[in-house]
Amino acid sequence: MRLTVNGTEHEVDVEPDMPLLWVLRDELNITGPKYGCGIAQCGACTVHVDGLAVRACQLAVGDLADGAVTTIEGLAQPDSLHVVQQAWIDHQVAQCGYCQSGQIMQAAAFLDLNPEPTDEEIDAAMSAILCRCGTYPRIRAAVHAAAAKLQEG
Amino acid sequence: MKLKVLAACLLAASSPVLAEVDITPPTSATPAEGLEAWSRIYEVASHPRCANCHTGASDRPMWSGPSYGKTRPHGMNIRAGESRIGAEHVLCSTCHTTKSDDWAKANTTSHAAPRVAMDWQLAPVEADWFGRTSVEICEQLRDPERNGDRDMLALAEHLDHDLILHWAWKPGGGREPAPYSLQAHVNDILIWGTAGFPCPEN
Repeated sequence: MRLTVNGTEHEVDVEPDMPLLWVLRDELNITGPKYGCGIAQCGACTVHVDGLAVRACQLAVGDLADGAVTTIEGLAQPDSLHVVQQAWIDHQVAQCGYCQSGQIMQAAAFLDLNPEPTDEEIDAAMSAILCRCGTYPRIRAAVHAAAAKLQEG
Repeated sequence: MKLKVLAACLLAASSPVLAEVDITPPTSATPAEGLEAWSRIYEVASHPRCANCHTGASDRPMWSGPSYGKTRPHGMNIRAGESRIGAEHVLCSTCHTTKSDDWAKANTTSHAAPRVAMDWQLAPVEADWFGRTSVEICEQLRDPERNGDRDMLALAEHLDHDLILHWAWKPGGGREPAPYSLQAHVNDILIWGTAGFPCPEN
C-alpha cells in the first residue's frame, strides 16, 4: 500500500483497516502524532489529510485513498516554522507537551477554515483536544496571535 | 466564503447512490393502518440513534440513550455550526472519518466515533426534533417546508441513499440500534404516505 506523508511517498505492507496512527508511528517511525485514547476523544493523534484535521487513530489507512498526510513533522517550511508553531513558542503554550502536536495541527487546520475566529469559536475548536495541564488560556492567546500573523500575510 | 465552499463540496461528495431497500408503496392503506405505521416511525425517529443528530439551531449534537447514561450534549464541546458539518469549529469528519466502503469492522470499538461511507453531519435545522412529541415530529415530517420538500417516495429514497441513516440499524460498539429495520422503516413510510400522512391527535 502506498501513502504520501509530509511530501514523501511510502510503501507499507499493512492491512487496510490498520489505523493511520499505527502506520505512522509503528511502520514509518513518524512519532509526532501521539497515541492518547485510540477512540477520538483526546485528539493527540491529529494530523492533516489534504489540509483537513483528522484523528489518525480513527482513519483506516485503506480509507486514505489518494489523500496526502501531513504530520507535525511536515507542518513547517524548511526555513521557518508554521505561524501556529511560532505562536506556541511565543506564548509558551506547552506544559507537559504530550498533546501539543495535536493542538498545533488542529489549530492550523482550524485557522485555514476560520481565519478570524472569536474566543468562543477558538474554545469550540480547541477544547476537542484534551490538555490535562489546562493550557487552554494560552492556547486561545496563541491561536489569536497566529490568526493575526496570518492576516498580515 | 471558504467555509461555504467546503461545506458544499463535502455535502456534494456525500451523496452516494446505493439501493439497499425495496421501495414499493402499498396499493392502499387506511388511516388506521397509517397511524399504526406512524407509531412505529416515531419509535425510530425518536430513538437516540436518530434523534441525537436531529437538533436545531443550537448546533449541538446530543448524547442520549442507554449507551450514554444521562442525556447530555456531545462531549468535547462539539458544535456543528451553521454548516452542520462543523466547518466553523471542528469538522464532524475529523473524528467521524469517512470510509471508502462499508467494511464490517469499522464500528466495533466501544466509544469510538461512528463511521460510514459518507461525510458525517448534523440533520438540517428544520429537521430539529430531539425531545419532541409524536404529534410534533409527525407534523414536521409531512410538511414539505420542513422535510426537504419530499413526498412519500422522496422520503423513502432519502432513507435508501443516506448511509448515516443506515448506520442507525447497525451502529456497533455496543450501541443500541434503532428499532425494526431499514426496510421495515421504509415500508412504514410508504404505508403512512399512502394513507395520507395521518398524525395522532394531541
